[in-house]
Order: sequence, then structure tokens, then C-alpha cells
Amino acid sequence: MPSSFSTLKALCAAFALLSVLGHPAAAQLSFKPTAEAVQEDKLLNALKEGDKITGRITIPDAMAASLIQPAGRDWRDFQRSKLPIIGGIAIIGMFALLAIFLMVRGRIRVHRGFSGAKILRFASFERFTHWLTASCFVVLALSGLNISFGRILILPLFGPEAFATMSGYAKLAHDFLAFPFMLGLVIMFLIWIKDNIPGKIDLQWLKQGGGILFKDQHPPARRFNAGQKGIFWIVIIGGALMSVSGWFLLFPYLPANVTALQFWTVIHAVIAMLFIAAMMAHIYIGSIGMEGAFDAMGTGEVDLNWAREHHSLWVEEEQAKGQAPSGSAPRAMPAE
Amino acid sequence: MKVFLAALLVATVVAVGVSLLLNTIQRPSYAAFTAEGVRVGDPGNNLVGPNWNGTVI
Repeated sequence: MPSSFSTLKALCAAFALLSVLGHPAAAQLSFKPTAEAVQEDKLLNALKEGDKITGRITIPDAMAASLIQPAGRDWRDFQRSKLPIIGGIAIIGMFALLAIFLMVRGRIRVHRGFSGAKILRFASFERFTHWLTASCFVVLALSGLNISFGRILILPLFGPEAFATMSGYAKLAHDFLAFPFMLGLVIMFLIWIKDNIPGKIDLQWLKQGGGILFKDQHPPARRFNAGQKGIFWIVIIGGALMSVSGWFLLFPYLPANVTALQFWTVIHAVIAMLFIAAMMAHIYIGSIGMEGAFDAMGTGEVDLNWAREHHSLWVEEEQAKGQAPSGSAPRAMPAE
Repeated sequence: MKVFLAALLVATVVAVGVSLLLNTIQRPSYAAFTAEGVRVGDPGNNLVGPNWNGTVI
């Protein structure tokens, strides 16, 4: 049987099992060896069909009732062969894509130059929430990648003792920084949801490639453009999936059985790879990719010309409220 | 910079706070899964033995 089919079968079995999580009696599988029934061919047939061999136990850990679970091999094969491919394509692929974009397009400059006039883009609490979530994300991402790939990539560099010590602390950081990350996600959702509802203006922005593909193109945008709204929803939905799956991994006695636990590890690992790739693009454009962008989260204030070029409708709204300098803002001239 | 440092501080405080909270409300698995019919002792920290060379079987 092709390994990809058996993996799919295992994931399907996981989904099916999850659907009967509320009915433990129904979740008991078909083959239970008894003194009379145990014959080698019956056991082997049960294992071939991907069934579990279970028994009666007296210890409180219900998961120990599973004696043999063949789907576990598919899960192990997924972790060792398919997951590195997904991670490699996503993360290394994104890195390559960004490098090529920087080489071809170059840094996105402020066309009219910096004016010297500033407009407040993000208040202190917004920046605090962003950095709370982002700093936790970076540590979670690195420690998580260490869990998946550290033994292959990092251990040969540092040796077993140093790697073990580092990985022990990385695991603690991963487990406990998950909580401030989740806190940041909730606050982020509450403070920014109103500015991230998709609208017609976003379609127009997307049709023009966000103005980043070609120079001197500046499609109108409100406080957040379509690209930023995409990042917001990737963070919220991806973060929620990571939080839910991570919760089951932090408290592994919560899932009904080991197949459910395997399902959540697959979700956690796959979403993590895609999430990291998306955040690499976000970090790129917010730092070296676009001149003047970092100031938004750095000091909270951005240059007026930068804001006019990238968020023209938002500048108009702020000017109407009296919260932004009005009038034209030509290129700042150096003192002679 | 102040905002960034405040975020790092809050992240650390929340993480440490949660770890202390979980340590008080959770028990190790060998204590939680001990029953009248079976006693599970503290397995210690070195589960592979002092002569393990790091080979994964």
C-alpha cells in the first residue's frame, strides 16, 4: 500500500475518531483479543486493516489500553519524511522568493521622499500588543523548528550535551511562552478586527498588485491594506489553530485517545510551517522590504509622504479628524 | 524601545506565572496515575541509562 495512502488513511481515521469522541463506547474498535479468540491470523488481519489492538487495563491512564496502533507508523513516517518536505518548501522557498524579490524589485522607496512631517500610526498599546505577540512568536517558531528538525540540523553542529541542554530550555520556553502569545492574539483580535474587515477597496488594491510589483504605483488603502488584512487573518486563524492544537499537546490527557493526539500534532506542525513562512514575508516587508515601514511599529509615527503613498484614504480620514498635518508635504530640503 | 522592552517583560512574567500556577495544580504523571492496584514510582531523570551513546534505534 503506498505510504501516502496510508498516511491519508491514518488522518481520515483520526477525523473519524474525532467525530465519535463524545461516545467512547462507539470508539472501541472491532478486534479485542480474548483467551479463545486470539489466533495469529486474526491479529495480523486486524493490524493490516489499520485497526488497533486494545485491552482491558486497571491503571487510570486510558490511553494505555491501546496495545498496538499501526497508524502510529504512518504518523511517524509523516513526521520524518513528509513534514520536512513541507517545511523545507514553505520556509526555504519563502526565503528564496523574498531574496529574488529584493534583487529584482529592490527596496520599496518613498517616491516623493520623506517630508519630515509625522503622523501617528500606532498608539503605544497597539505596539505593545504587536511586540508581545511577535517576540513570543519568534521564540516559539525557533524552539518549535528545533523540536521538528533540531536533531538533524542542530545536533551535528553543537554535539549531544550542548544540544540537549539547549533543547531542554527551548522546550520550556515553547511550552510557557505559548500563553503570552495566546494573550497577545486575543488582544490583537479585539483592537484591530474593526480595521481588518475586507472591502471593495481591497479588491482594487489586489488588482494593482498592492503597488509593490511596479514602481510609482500607489493604490488607495485605508488604515490596513489588503496585504495587511491578509496577514491579520493569517495570524488570527493560524494562531487559533496553533493555540487549540498546542493546548491538546500541553495537556495530552485531554484528547480521547492517541490517534487524536497524533492528529493534533500533525495540525500543529503543518500550520506552524505555513505560519512561519507567512511571517517571514511580513517581517521582510516591515523591515528591509519597504523604506519607512518599520517606524510604524518602532516609534509609532510614520512619515506623512509614506502614509500618503501607502494609506492615502487613512491619511484623509486622520486629517478630517484633525489628527494629522494637512496640506501638501513636499520632499524635505536639506539645510544649506 | 520602551514599549518593546515592556512587551518582553510582560511575556516573561506571564510565562513564569503560568508555570508556577500549573506546577501547583498539576501532579507528575507517576503520581497522578498511581492507583490502589498499581504503584508507579518516580522514574528519575535519566531514562536511557548512563551508557547510552545517543544512537536512535
